[in-house]
Amino acid sequence: MTLSTEVAVRATGLSLRYGRAVALDDVSITLGTGVTGLLGPNGAGKTSLLRILATALAPNAGELRIFGEDPLTGPGRLAARRRIGYLPQDPGFHRSFTAFEFVDYVAILKELTDRRARHAEVRRVLDAVGLNDRRGDKIRTLSGGSKQRVALAAALVGDPSLLILDEPTVGLDPEQRFRFRELFADLGEGRAVLLSTHQTEDVTSLCREVVVLDHGGARFRGTPAELTALANGRVWTSDAREPGAAASWRTGTGSFRHVGTPPDGAELLAPTLEDGYLTLVDLS
Amino acid sequence: MSWHVGDPDLAAYADGSLPAPGVWSVEAHLAACEGCRERLTFDAVDAGWERLDAELDAPRPGLVERALSFGGVPATTARLLTATPALRGSWLVSVTLTLLLAAVLAHYAQPLVFLALTPLLPVLGVAVSFGPGIDPTHEVTVVAPYSTFRLLLLRCATVLAANTLLTAAASLALAEYGVRIAGWFLPSLALTILTLLITPRLGAVPAATVVGLGWLSLVLGTRHSTSLLPYTAAGQVAMAVAAALAAVALGFQMSAFDRTRPLPRRFR
Repeated sequence: MTLSTEVAVRATGLSLRYGRAVALDDVSITLGTGVTGLLGPNGAGKTSLLRILATALAPNAGELRIFGEDPLTGPGRLAARRRIGYLPQDPGFHRSFTAFEFVDYVAILKELTDRRARHAEVRRVLDAVGLNDRRGDKIRTLSGGSKQRVALAAALVGDPSLLILDEPTVGLDPEQRFRFRELFADLGEGRAVLLSTHQTEDVTSLCREVVVLDHGGARFRGTPAELTALANGRVWTSDAREPGAAASWRTGTGSFRHVGTPPDGAELLAPTLEDGYLTLVDLS
Repeated sequence: MSWHVGDPDLAAYADGSLPAPGVWSVEAHLAACEGCRERLTFDAVDAGWERLDAELDAPRPGLVERALSFGGVPATTARLLTATPALRGSWLVSVTLTLLLAAVLAHYAQPLVFLALTPLLPVLGVAVSFGPGIDPTHEVTVVAPYSTFRLLLLRCATVLAANTLLTAAASLALAEYGVRIAGWFLPSLALTILTLLITPRLGAVPAATVVGLGWLSLVLGTRHSTSLLPYTAAGQVAMAVAAALAAVALGFQMSAFDRTRPLPRRFR
């Protein structure tokens, strides 16, 4: 892995259409070292963007450079792929493989041909995700969280400079999520990590920057603190639901928390990152 | 002692790669220097444990992988091929049973089913060997640096080889039909390459469906003639030419398999 401050991804005006449906509309994004969070509702275009950056999809329009290489050309795509680790949203496995065999299979696809070096790398990444003691288990016998760790181990093979993770913590219990967060924080040291998630806690605790996508467009780009600040003066509490609020829900204490335009004299609350996110996206 | 063996020389000595004059020098030094002997012992034992560890960790290859290695396929390629759905035991058993049934029908009735069916089996195998929604690791495979086209060709060649062996064995049971019964090979080859050729445009399953339907139309359309057209001498030559032309065209568009394109709607 290259430890540097070089720009991992520079994308300008990316657009993607599936027939008439617009998945991405003029999205620009630049990624450097550290963890960048990608937030957005379902169907916002997060997975399409990640697939384009992982070189699994070609955009219909826009310009993309990954470590300065153009993935729309053959040599550029190959050079980019050698530096990318990708964890898809719904990673699949060959049922008959053990955890070791699957990661070994991916390691061969990543051009690690020397058997001894490859097996050492497989052991390293399985150890990094805490699965070394289960390396001989068939993947079909593993829990959902362990399968997710196998997929992450496969993404880590070859020590990629750019890690693209599509909702890696979905379906994990709180302890597993915490373990993943620890790991992502370590991985963000010296490499670019793009983390798509619905968990705003992941973004708050991990990310240096956050991008919010909605309806195929980039609605926000900044630090988590800046996203949180969008809800300054727009979060308040009362004893009843507010029909005029953009979002309104009963909290555990019985009072209601609202995000939107507060009425005069409302009791304002300090916003969270989730409040900032709710302020931004179209909840209709 | 004024000098000691440097780390690179000691490592080279330990793994046997140090050239002869160096070996003599190092051995003479080691005889007199306990410090260097200790370094050597520690490094060598450590490396030995690492190698042993790696060997113990290495998964025992499965039946298909061992069969491929026995046939001279490199270990890394064999590992990649074990993920081919059409090389799974269940698929090969299905192909075997289908061939047995077709051979029995040919033996007791007429060879039409056998001759029509056998070229389609590798096409079906190719259809279920690659693509989104079929290969569970398709997305991870496509974004890896390994050539997608090469992987596809490897899988297809292996599927074709497995089918050829099984069909050849089934043909032996139909010796009463003479050489004509072995005429399935060229159609198998031509249909498989044609399927590959149109896969980038249609996807593997639709491509196999189009080619399969075309083949069945050809076979059924000529079933009342004295001999099935593809199994005549002229038909065999036509199949050989079609296979050759399709192979050349495939060679020209190999980059199409590695070119990223939007996934079909159902896989988004």
